[in-house]
Amino acid sequence: MVQSFRDLREQLLLAGVAPRHVRRYLAELYDHWGDLTAEEQCAGHSLEEAQTAALARLGTIDDLAVAMTAQPKFRSWAARAPWAVFSFVPLSFLAGAWAVAFFILWSGWQIFLPGADTPFGAGPLHGFENLYFQTGKAIYFFAPLILGWGIGLVAARQRLKAAWPTVGLLLIAAMGGTAHVQASRTAVPAGFGHISLDFTLGTSIHGLPNGLFHALAILSITLLPYLVWRLQRLCFASA
Amino acid sequence: MPARESNPNFMNGVPELLILKLLEHEPMYGYEIVHEVQRQTGAAIALGEGVVYPVLHGLERDGALLSRRKTVNGRSRIYYSVTPAGALRLANLKHSWSVLTAAIQNMLAGGRYGSVIS
Repeated sequence: MVQSFRDLREQLLLAGVAPRHVRRYLAELYDHWGDLTAEEQCAGHSLEEAQTAALARLGTIDDLAVAMTAQPKFRSWAARAPWAVFSFVPLSFLAGAWAVAFFILWSGWQIFLPGADTPFGAGPLHGFENLYFQTGKAIYFFAPLILGWGIGLVAARQRLKAAWPTVGLLLIAAMGGTAHVQASRTAVPAGFGHISLDFTLGTSIHGLPNGLFHALAILSITLLPYLVWRLQRLCFASA
Repeated sequence: MPARESNPNFMNGVPELLILKLLEHEPMYGYEIVHEVQRQTGAAIALGEGVVYPVLHGLERDGALLSRRKTVNGRSRIYYSVTPAGALRLANLKHSWSVLTAAIQNMLAGGRYGSVIS
């Protein structure tokens, strides 16, 4: 793709146009440029002259960008309401993922460990029973990481400023790091099995609260790819 | 080679009308649309060749146009056609345009502004 199209893509993404609209716009412009080039070549120009003339006929980068950015309906949700996309949405997804993980924990407890007061540390599990509980555990532990990476990916794809994605990553890390799950059958009178979730910093290990340590670990792992991308962009911009 | 000049700001809304009219009976792709508008208007109206796409995408998003990818002569192209909602929009635009042009014509001919806009 010629440099002009790359510049246009960056300009549109930075202006908040949704990546899917940018992709389609550029694809159609590229095809149109091909048609214009062929037309100019038929008129007797060399390939290079024809390509330059075709680009000029297509319009200046600023004109092409303004035509798109002037229509608010092409703006992405991340540009329109970053507070929602980077706080409300990931937290809702985290809550949803954890609800699934808790259901797996609770149902596995009822089916495979009906006599145990708690499903945690209830003896060795094998085969399908083990797989069932491990699936729930994986969803619980990996959900904050996957959502954090998702935030970084959305921010990178849409060339967003770092403020709101950072807020989102901090929220996810805080939630994921400080969450503690408890499950007990005797905690409620009916003995049906009760699962609770609370958010605490927990006990200190070497002067650092456990919850804070986990939150920092999640933040580092999720922030790293986004930081690498931003540094790469800085290097390209200064080159 | 200098870029061909397109029409100034007062032409806002006209591309939409012309595109809907052009696609009323036959699906076309972007390049065809631009060149057909130039041909049919004797190049009096020159749509910016690239800026036609945001208009097409906007109309499609509003439900006035439908797009379909088709391969013609080995090249994949996006063809646009008018939907029933687009046909209705075209009728409304045509009516508004007729009223406007009649009003302007009347004023240029020396008629009274008040007698035209009722």
